[in-house]
Amino acid sequence: MAFYADKDYTEDQAVLDAMNAVMQGNLSLHWFDAHTEKIKGRPRDPRRGLVYQDLDIGSYGYTDIPESVRTSQSMAARGSEKWGKLPDMGYLVNRKSDVWSDNVAALYEESKARRWAPALDIPWTELDAHPLAPALEAACAQLYTFLQECAAVALDFPSRWVALINQEFIEQKSFMCAQMLDGARLLEAFRKRALYGGAGLGRANVAAEQGLKEWLWADEFPRGSLAINLALGGFLLALYRHIAAFAPTRTDRAIMGFAMQDAARHAAYGAGALRYHLAHQPEERAELNAWLDGEEHVILALLGSPELIEPLIIISGGGLEAAQVRAGCEAALKFIRLVAREYFERLEAAGLGGRVSRSRLSAIVSRVSI
Amino acid sequence: MAVRFPSTEYFTALKERMAAEQARFRRLGFIDTTFGITVAGNGEPRNFILSFEVFELADVREVDAIDAASVDFVIAGDAAVWREMIDNIRRNGEADTHHDINTLTHFGEALKISYADPEGHDKLYRFMESIQEFFDLTSQVEVSF
Amino acid sequence: MGYLATKDYFEDRDFVDKWLYTIRTGELDLSWMKAATEKVKPHAENPRRGLIYRDIDLGAYGYSNLPEKVRRNRSFAPRGAELPEGLPDAQPWVSRKSELWAHNTDGYYEEAVTRQWNATTDIPWERLEGVELPEATGKALSQLMTFLTEVEMIATDTPAMWLPRLNPEFIEVRAFIAAQAMDEARHAEVFRKRALTTGHGLMKASPMNEMALKHLRDADSFSEMSVALHLVAEGNVLTLFRFSEFLSPTDVDKRIFRLVMQDEARHVGYGMQHFKWVLEHFPQKREVLHSHLDEAENISFASGAATELTESFIVLAGGGLKQENIAQGVKITTAFQLKQMHEHFERLDKCGMPERKSGDRSRLWNMFEMGKAAAAEAGIKF
Repeated sequence: MAFYADKDYTEDQAVLDAMNAVMQGNLSLHWFDAHTEKIKGRPRDPRRGLVYQDLDIGSYGYTDIPESVRTSQSMAARGSEKWGKLPDMGYLVNRKSDVWSDNVAALYEESKARRWAPALDIPWTELDAHPLAPALEAACAQLYTFLQECAAVALDFPSRWVALINQEFIEQKSFMCAQMLDGARLLEAFRKRALYGGAGLGRANVAAEQGLKEWLWADEFPRGSLAINLALGGFLLALYRHIAAFAPTRTDRAIMGFAMQDAARHAAYGAGALRYHLAHQPEERAELNAWLDGEEHVILALLGSPELIEPLIIISGGGLEAAQVRAGCEAALKFIRLVAREYFERLEAAGLGGRVSRSRLSAIVSRVSI
Repeated sequence: MAVRFPSTEYFTALKERMAAEQARFRRLGFIDTTFGITVAGNGEPRNFILSFEVFELADVREVDAIDAASVDFVIAGDAAVWREMIDNIRRNGEADTHHDINTLTHFGEALKISYADPEGHDKLYRFMESIQEFFDLTSQVEVSF
Repeated sequence: MGYLATKDYFEDRDFVDKWLYTIRTGELDLSWMKAATEKVKPHAENPRRGLIYRDIDLGAYGYSNLPEKVRRNRSFAPRGAELPEGLPDAQPWVSRKSELWAHNTDGYYEEAVTRQWNATTDIPWERLEGVELPEATGKALSQLMTFLTEVEMIATDTPAMWLPRLNPEFIEVRAFIAAQAMDEARHAEVFRKRALTTGHGLMKASPMNEMALKHLRDADSFSEMSVALHLVAEGNVLTLFRFSEFLSPTDVDKRIFRLVMQDEARHVGYGMQHFKWVLEHFPQKREVLHSHLDEAENISFASGAATELTESFIVLAGGGLKQENIAQGVKITTAFQLKQMHEHFERLDKCGMPERKSGDRSRLWNMFEMGKAAAAEAGIKF
């Protein structure tokens, strides 16, 4: 399944003649008067630098990308002059409303501006100064084992799709690259934390992984984005916030502070993309509702797995004493309700309202009690 | 000289210190959000709108009421909760885990978050490190209540 | 169409009941606490460097102990975790270490994370205010930038599409690839932004280059992709960046090229180390690598043959369109092209493939030899 260039250039006489002509100083200059728009982009706000939004101009801008991209299947940059025999890159996603979100250029710029490095930005030695009790450390190690699984999936999703998305959507594809680095960085931070405390990694999470693979392997980008960016992104955002609120160490608080920033961007893109998608393809509303009816069980797979909920209870309560476990269960209950509430809120705001009454998730969450 | 909390003078004092520590806030990245702060207590609540742009607090003003649709989110709570947070920051140099914005707002029990659009709500978390460091600047300010 | 989990968890009565019971009663199962995993206690070898992947290269968790064939795990479970029954198959295509490993992969990744720069704020765009380049220079620069955005696009998509095909046990390689995807997106961004600040906009696409570069995207194996992308294409581009920095008409352009070449050098470093690893651990693959190089060098030659790139480089190098400018530009471009080929073969030599420096093995070597001879005649040194 390999592609070979349409000629062996070292043996093509026409190519060699053209090269020799140029290297003799006979320039064709066929490119000199390219038929492209002449612009001189400048930063609108010098404090911010030159952002993609400053270059949303004319044929170069993303605002004017048509809904259906039919005239470009190559690597050529949006707005450049296309000529000659350009390759077909086999993009499968060519509709703007299948990938676009009005906030994506800003989110890409934000992701670069808000970068961090786990090796240096996390106060690892705090764990040496204030080691945790064994049960609490074991709970942290198990939780961070689970979080590595989630990060691996979050890393895979943009990677699976980026080469299949038309290059006209460069800002959105760039954001996906930023998501890949976010995923790699979060996995790194979670792995380092899981191991640094000395408890070793925990047990992999069958229910979570089965569910996450189902989401990851969604057969269309809008569905996959809804699942991974909006639903998983929102779930992880709530989880990072929760762990930060009950963080047993400054190390954990620091990790979760950065993690929640990354996750919030993913959730924001997911919600924005769903909004854009439904605004331009309203007929998809019924399809997506039907699809979610079958997919929301994955949220339960995440919330309900003992490899997540038990460590969460222990961390929230601070230990294994009866009173601590009880406090942890109360916190876990609030967390579960928060996850469900915010999930439905995001869907509603994006144009997929009315799920609360329809969803099996709300029914099951209402059964959780102490 | 002490600034009173809550007041625009308090937030302006933080704004000035934020401007003086630009390198730190640049390192954290862009912060682009407008949010409200409501401090309830005896009598009418006091409402403030803070507008952050790029790396700084661009504007702070007191208003009679906050229109949720005009801000990304509102953080509201009793004066006693805000005071405890401020005291904690001044004592420790920064908020500890029990008193940072994320913890206090997490279940909406100490401080409550309200918002018209979940995307606005998400901005609290997208810029959390900057927002927390902004409030942590209180450690450099004399505050009276 | 898509994967379905082995259960619909809403309908798994046992799963639901256990969950509800746990929260209601606080009776925790805690079997995960008995996970049969290794206990290690890492520490940061160099506190100034912080805690790096090398510090957790310990026991079953480390990359040093990764076997050649990963048989143990095909799920998303992190390396070293306990693997209960029922984990899904992530369907990786690559589960063989020598297919993707490189010495210092972890180091390249850590370096990438700490050396991320921002095309928006780390380039002094404001210094372009009032700068008016002569028309020929400005257009040549824009044309070069246009070409570079195309190249960087393929350099983003190509490693990214391989990432989910790599067994999740290869954490450090996947991390490096993710960082590379971000590096390349940043490069595409900075070149696009520069083109759109010249006043000339983007110029013409480069069909010959695009046709040739598609091979990178559609490589049959990770190794083939890495040879073509990291070692050959990025090696060429690294030389191009160095020359472009030298020729930059403004200090803004110099800064752009200095920053992109840092990233590029890292990618080439990985490519070289991977090539070496394959040759050392997989000697029977030598001929396979030669055949990868045959096509990769064809791509390399195409970039020299794409006149919209070569001519713009000549104009930029010579500083204009007059006869004397072009003559000077041809000299510098000749030197650059020879340097590219020289460095390419030097890399292969250093990686353990000196026999590539032969007309019997490489058509590009023949072109290089002919080019050197012609340059010597013309008094051009490289």
